[in-house]
Amino acid sequence: METRYLIGNLLIGIGLVCILFGILCFFRFRNFYARVLVASIVDTMGFLTTLVGVALRAPGVFPLLKILLLGAAILFINPITTHKIARSAYLSGYRVRQEDEPRDH
Amino acid sequence: MLQGALIALGFFMMLMLLLIWRGPTIWDRLLGMNMISSKLILCILLFSVLTDLSYLIDIAMVYALIGFIGTVFIALFIRQRGRI
Repeated sequence: METRYLIGNLLIGIGLVCILFGILCFFRFRNFYARVLVASIVDTMGFLTTLVGVALRAPGVFPLLKILLLGAAILFINPITTHKIARSAYLSGYRVRQEDEPRDH
Repeated sequence: MLQGALIALGFFMMLMLLLIWRGPTIWDRLLGMNMISSKLILCILLFSVLTDLSYLIDIAMVYALIGFIGTVFIALFIRQRGRI
C-alpha cells in the first residue's frame, strides 16, 4: 500500500474522531449557544481533516481538484450557516436561562 | 477502512437524528439538520473514492450548496416569523 493511502486513512480516522467529539459535546451541553459554538468549530475541523484524507486517496488529479474546491466551499459555508442559525435565534429573542448554564460541581 | 468510515458516519447520522428528535428548540433541530447534511456530503465523497466514480463529487458539491441555501432561508423564515 502506498504511503499516501496510509496517511489518508490516518487523517480520515482523526477527522471521524473529531466529529464524534463534536456530537458528544452536542449531547453534553444544554445551552444552545454553546452547542452552536461546538458544532461550528469541531464539525468544520473534522470535516476538513476527513476531506484532506479523502483527497489523498483521490483516483486522479481532476477529482483531487474537485475535492479541494469542495473543501474551499465548505470552509466558507459551514461557519456562515451556523452564524445564520445563531443570529436567527438571537434576533428571535431566544435567551439562555440561568438553569440552563453548566454548573461547576 | 473506507467501509468502516462509512458505517461510522451512518452511526453518527443516527445520533444526530436522535438530537433532532430530542432538541428542545427549533434552532437545535436546524443545527442538527445542518450537521447531518455535512456528514452526508462526507459519505458521498467516501463512496465516490471507494467506487472510483468521480462524478459523485459534483453531486456532493451541489448538495453542499443547496443545503447551505436551504438552511439559511429556513433560519431567515423563522427569524421573520413566516414573512420573507
